[in-house]
Amino acid sequence: MKKVWSVVLAALLVVCACVSLISCGKGGKEIIIRVLENDTAKDKGYLDYLLNAFNEKYKDQNVKAVDANMDEYCDLENDGPYGYGPDVLYQANDILMKYVNGKHILPIEISELDCYEHIPQNAWDAYKANVEGRDVYCGVPVNVQQPLLFYRKDMLPDNWKTDWDKNNNDIPDMVEFWTEMYRYSKSIRDTDKSKFGYAVNLTNEYFNSGFLFSYGAYVFGNNNTDDKDIGLASGDAKIGAKIIWDLAGLMDLKCADESFTNARTTMLANGTIFANVCTPDITTQFLKDLALEYKKQGLSEEQANEKANENLILTTLPKLPKNGDITVEQDVTDETLWMSQKTMGGVNGYGISSYAKNREWSLKFVEFATSLEMVTKRQELLGIVPARDDALTNEDDIATKITFQNLNDGTLVVMPSISSVRAIWTPIKSCFKTIATDGCGKRTFSIDDMQTELNKMVANIKSQIETLQ
Amino acid sequence: MSKEKTKINVFTKIGNRFKNGINGLKLFFKKCGRETYSSMAFMGLGQILNGQFVKGILYALAEVAIVVYFALTGVKDFIGFFTLGTTKADAWLQLAGDNSVIMLLRGILSWIVLTVTVALYLSCIKDANKYAEIKGVGNVPSFRDDLSSLLNKNFFKIALALPLIGVAIFNVLPIVFMILIAFTNYGGEIVPPELVDWSFDSFRKLIALGDFSQTFGRILAWNFLWATASTAFNYFAGLGLALLYNKKCVKGKAIWRAFPILAYAVPGFITLLAFQFMFSNGGPINNMIVNNGGQIVDFLGINSKWIARGIGFFVNAWLSIPSIMLLATGILTNINTDLYEAARIDGANGFVQFRKITLPFVLFSTTPVLISQFVGNFNNFGVFYFLRKDILTDGYLAANDTDLLINWLYRLSIDNNYYGVGAAISLIIFVITSVISLIVYVRSSAYKREDTFK
Amino acid sequence: MRKPGIRAKKVADSCLTYAILTVVSMVFLFPILWLVLSCFSANGSIYSFNGFFPTSFSFDSFKNLFTDTKTYNYPSWFGYTLLVAVISSVVGTLLVILTAFTISSFQFSGRKFLMKGALVLGMFPSFMGMTAVYLLMTQFGFINNHVGLALIYAGGAPMGYLVQKGFFDTIPSSIYEAARIDGASNLHIFCTITLPLSKPIIVYTLLTQFAWPWSDFILPKLLLKDRELWTVAVGLMSLPETEFARFAAGSVFIAVPIVILYFFLSKYLINGLSAGAVKG
Repeated sequence: MKKVWSVVLAALLVVCACVSLISCGKGGKEIIIRVLENDTAKDKGYLDYLLNAFNEKYKDQNVKAVDANMDEYCDLENDGPYGYGPDVLYQANDILMKYVNGKHILPIEISELDCYEHIPQNAWDAYKANVEGRDVYCGVPVNVQQPLLFYRKDMLPDNWKTDWDKNNNDIPDMVEFWTEMYRYSKSIRDTDKSKFGYAVNLTNEYFNSGFLFSYGAYVFGNNNTDDKDIGLASGDAKIGAKIIWDLAGLMDLKCADESFTNARTTMLANGTIFANVCTPDITTQFLKDLALEYKKQGLSEEQANEKANENLILTTLPKLPKNGDITVEQDVTDETLWMSQKTMGGVNGYGISSYAKNREWSLKFVEFATSLEMVTKRQELLGIVPARDDALTNEDDIATKITFQNLNDGTLVVMPSISSVRAIWTPIKSCFKTIATDGCGKRTFSIDDMQTELNKMVANIKSQIETLQ
Repeated sequence: MSKEKTKINVFTKIGNRFKNGINGLKLFFKKCGRETYSSMAFMGLGQILNGQFVKGILYALAEVAIVVYFALTGVKDFIGFFTLGTTKADAWLQLAGDNSVIMLLRGILSWIVLTVTVALYLSCIKDANKYAEIKGVGNVPSFRDDLSSLLNKNFFKIALALPLIGVAIFNVLPIVFMILIAFTNYGGEIVPPELVDWSFDSFRKLIALGDFSQTFGRILAWNFLWATASTAFNYFAGLGLALLYNKKCVKGKAIWRAFPILAYAVPGFITLLAFQFMFSNGGPINNMIVNNGGQIVDFLGINSKWIARGIGFFVNAWLSIPSIMLLATGILTNINTDLYEAARIDGANGFVQFRKITLPFVLFSTTPVLISQFVGNFNNFGVFYFLRKDILTDGYLAANDTDLLINWLYRLSIDNNYYGVGAAISLIIFVITSVISLIVYVRSSAYKREDTFK
Repeated sequence: MRKPGIRAKKVADSCLTYAILTVVSMVFLFPILWLVLSCFSANGSIYSFNGFFPTSFSFDSFKNLFTDTKTYNYPSWFGYTLLVAVISSVVGTLLVILTAFTISSFQFSGRKFLMKGALVLGMFPSFMGMTAVYLLMTQFGFINNHVGLALIYAGGAPMGYLVQKGFFDTIPSSIYEAARIDGASNLHIFCTITLPLSKPIIVYTLLTQFAWPWSDFILPKLLLKDRELWTVAVGLMSLPETEFARFAAGSVFIAVPIVILYFFLSKYLINGLSAGAVKG
């Protein structure tokens, strides 16, 4: 009676036995380097260019770099050990560095690299980790991401040179000072309820946590390495929170969810909003939509593109008043009243998987991909801000100039690289959402309520990091 | 008093059973012959002695396979189950150490093989013994006889074999794995290449956490409300729809039914994303409200507990009603039309027919649907994950007021990698929910009187 | 006097029925229509319309979907999903029907235990087992393998046997008695009597088993590493927010095979006992 059972079970056992015999002993002669790039690089053709250039240079060395062809957010921790990960991967610093704990990515002798001297120490630090008592660097920076202000020049008031440039530096005050931005946005709102001045998604944790940092907050203590010390409510962070709340008053409930993120390019193009904050890699999308809009108004393709390029301006974020009140006018000619706004940024770069089949060639590939020629090409094709200072050849490249300046003077706060960082995002987002919702609705929060909300957020992060770990 | 009595009863029962068992074994050994003993020595020998060669060879092959398995990896895996690894891997030095989770998995496999081996052995001995006795009296069935009995009397064995193996590998094994994970310190910083150990830390953490029980209680209450309400609503709406489409006066039934099918054909996560956008503050619904002079309604916002719950309820109904309708349509075809004929002759009107014939039949035959819907809704991950994943509410530990237990679990275990704690929570949830649903199920008429309509 | 009354009642009844049908159809159609129209919108973004529907239309999104395959290879994803869906629906349906039939019409020891066991196991949150499934598949070498994925779907399908069992429970056993007296084997009965009677439930099972691989993105994401080998759901989820039109077009297109299958099978859906030759 039990035969069928027996047969099936026996077969199962045989399968089990076979599994243990399976060994992966495939040996090809050619060395293959599997490179994981981000989708944009692939889409815009940069990856092909890079791979071809590398393969061309080393064509007689029996080595070939290929597209790893995986999800851009691959999980090296779970794929690598079983042989399914890439050899070389391009990621943001927080993602790359979370692999250091399990030693899933290799330390790199950075001082031996060509690019070593050309990359600012602050960018290198994003890839620094302390493993078993010694400092190691596990990635090579390629590009620095930080939010910038985007606005439409043709939406400035006609009289801005006389009425909105009190410090006479030929920069409109509303994109130079937050108080002026507040005043200008309010005037737009007051005349037409369907239009906005400054309009962003205030729940975005990357773009808005800069307000907290500017008034003394920080993510983790001890240079972003101590997750016992969460500093997002420290210092006068509540003043920063109140600025978010004040800005929410200039918008409507759309600022409290993803609406402004989703629609930012179309809204800026059709004139619904005047200014927005974003990372420079979205520039091409802004230009595309703006040109489309001009074309609709009857311009030719060429004219439309030209006009879009001329009217879309990206610049550094406005300055914050030191006293933290953006709702009242302050003297813009007195420099002592102002400070630069800190922003959260990230450093994207290459890392080498510890499970790479050939470590020397993987390193050679990284060296090749971070060479001046490649980084310049990347900048040209993708509109990113390179981490190499010698790639700063084009004097008109405002984004790059601003970023370097900010990276050097500490205005750019680089995301923490320890693994606990993954616990902070949802609590921050949720906290900003609470503040923004009240700010554009009931407006009942006092400055103490801001502190309470920030404390709750920190408690949330703490309970996730400490209590459960 | 009475408690003590039952206790004593239980003990005497167990004692008796034990005694009987030993006596039975004694008797068995006294009675059995060389066929049985040879089967004990090597599986299949007894069958061959009984003249059942094919069966005997099959048993023998199974034993060979088992021995090979244990020699190659089984013993190592079995030990690994207890140690969970002793040498740590170091990817930098290319040191291949022990991977604790793989060892756990292989350990479970070796347990399964061990259990199967024991069961096989017992069945082999019993079988040898049984036919050794029969051999003296009558004919021993040939292999062909065995096969034909499998198509007939024992058809259920052959029919259930494949599904059971599938379920065992892809459902039971992962669940066992996760339950065992709850008793390890796996998660957080301790993931391979770190070595995982057996420990009760996860449960200790849960008990120590004050917020935990509060969050758990709140979410559990809402979870039950949600599952009950949406199951009831979807079930009756789907059923009503099926009955409506079945009405005689409806022309072009296939076309009418196609509308809900269309909704069913677009994958759930896509419609959920679409609904999330529709109800967002800048979405088309709010656009219309504003264009008509209204204020933006914060449908899914941070303070919209009940509005968001209501939207979730509606969206879930939109997603699940089509499949219930489809199913009910299929089941309704089995209704015996003669009954209606008879009822009409007796002069019963439409409503009486519905109440006396349709409703009892449908209720009976779709109770399983109700149960599986309840289970599905209880563990409905998608709706609130897509609608409100960015929100955390005061008074909840890493969760918001629309989260169901499964959403909370996801935040804890996947978002933050707390596998051990996540597994411990899911074990607790699992125990509570399965006990409740088991009680409900065993009491349901579909379980008690399965053959009402047979 | 009575006849026109009844007729009036009937007319009123069908008017009401059609009214409800229209409303229900609208409720189901509207979001789908919105999704369909938005993938025909000219500038490829749904964020630009002021009302519900776009104002200018174009076919660009669909053209991009099938021609611009360098980064997002939709045709390849579609083909692989179809493969997985077909295998999993055929094998899965077979397993489910077998399980349900057996449990419904056989009495054997351990039957109630199996039923309770299936119910309890179904309550376990499925994604908690994903880690184990992934590890298991790495051990079997089933990563980047569509047959492995389809086997997981099909292998887990018998857990949902309860609904099908409910159907089999309603088939009068008198139908079987006659055949048993004639000496038919159980396999014979299953093939010649049960299966033809169960068309509606088989169609239902086929449809649900076929539809699931199109919408699951958690499991395939775990098991299929190579972008070319992804299923449609994984691919769509990986699209960046700027590619909304492509996303909408891709998602709408998923519905095509499922709807075709429905229309192809719909006549069997209502073709059970009442329409069949045998009556209890």
